[in-house]
Amino acid sequence: MLTTRKPRREKDSQVPRKKRTCRFCDAKDIYIDYRDEKRLQRFVTEQGKIIPKRITGTCAKHQRQLVKAIKRARHLAMLPFVSDTIR
Amino acid sequence: MDNSQRTYESTFIINASLDDPQVDAVIGRVQEVITKNGGTVTALNKWGRKRLAYTINKKTNGFYVNLEFTGAGTVLAPLERFFQLDEMILRHLTIQLDRKALTARAQAKAAAAVPVEEVPPVQPREPIFKDTPNDKQS
Repeated sequence: MLTTRKPRREKDSQVPRKKRTCRFCDAKDIYIDYRDEKRLQRFVTEQGKIIPKRITGTCAKHQRQLVKAIKRARHLAMLPFVSDTIR
Repeated sequence: MDNSQRTYESTFIINASLDDPQVDAVIGRVQEVITKNGGTVTALNKWGRKRLAYTINKKTNGFYVNLEFTGAGTVLAPLERFFQLDEMILRHLTIQLDRKALTARAQAKAAAAVPVEEVPPVQPREPIFKDTPNDKQS
């Protein structure tokens, strides 16, 4: 009796994922300033939470600078601590 | 006390319900505190009235002012005290600018200055409808 072989299922883990690079390292000599809200807003969720570096791909060094800048901007009410979804 | 000169930056939010002269008066008072305590103000940027991301003292708008100054660390204590005592100042943030920040600021300034020089001032155009009302009348 012949047994038909099932085709191998492709595992998700085998799919090569594009490696993210730190965008502050790519563009050299960017000083992460608390004053440019627009740049900081990209690293914050709609709720106002800081996006972890494993998602944005930022390196540890720049993530530290980023976090500091975001917190300073929050203190000056340029970024929300918590933004209401209903407005 | 350490007397070395450092560069600092203060950003503060003034109550936006004040009129422009009153806002200027508050800024003047801040500058006075700095100069009296041996600091020198190097740059003053008024960001103007902006909407706050959250309410501070039941206010939704604020007038942002950014001040760069140099001086010894002894300037800071009186300045911070002044910020806390003045009721028209909603928030303040004073930071020391390190070398990286200073170079970044200088570059940004240079970048901002160059295009202004290149672009010639816009020549005032002659009004298209110059004397039409008069013509109609006559």
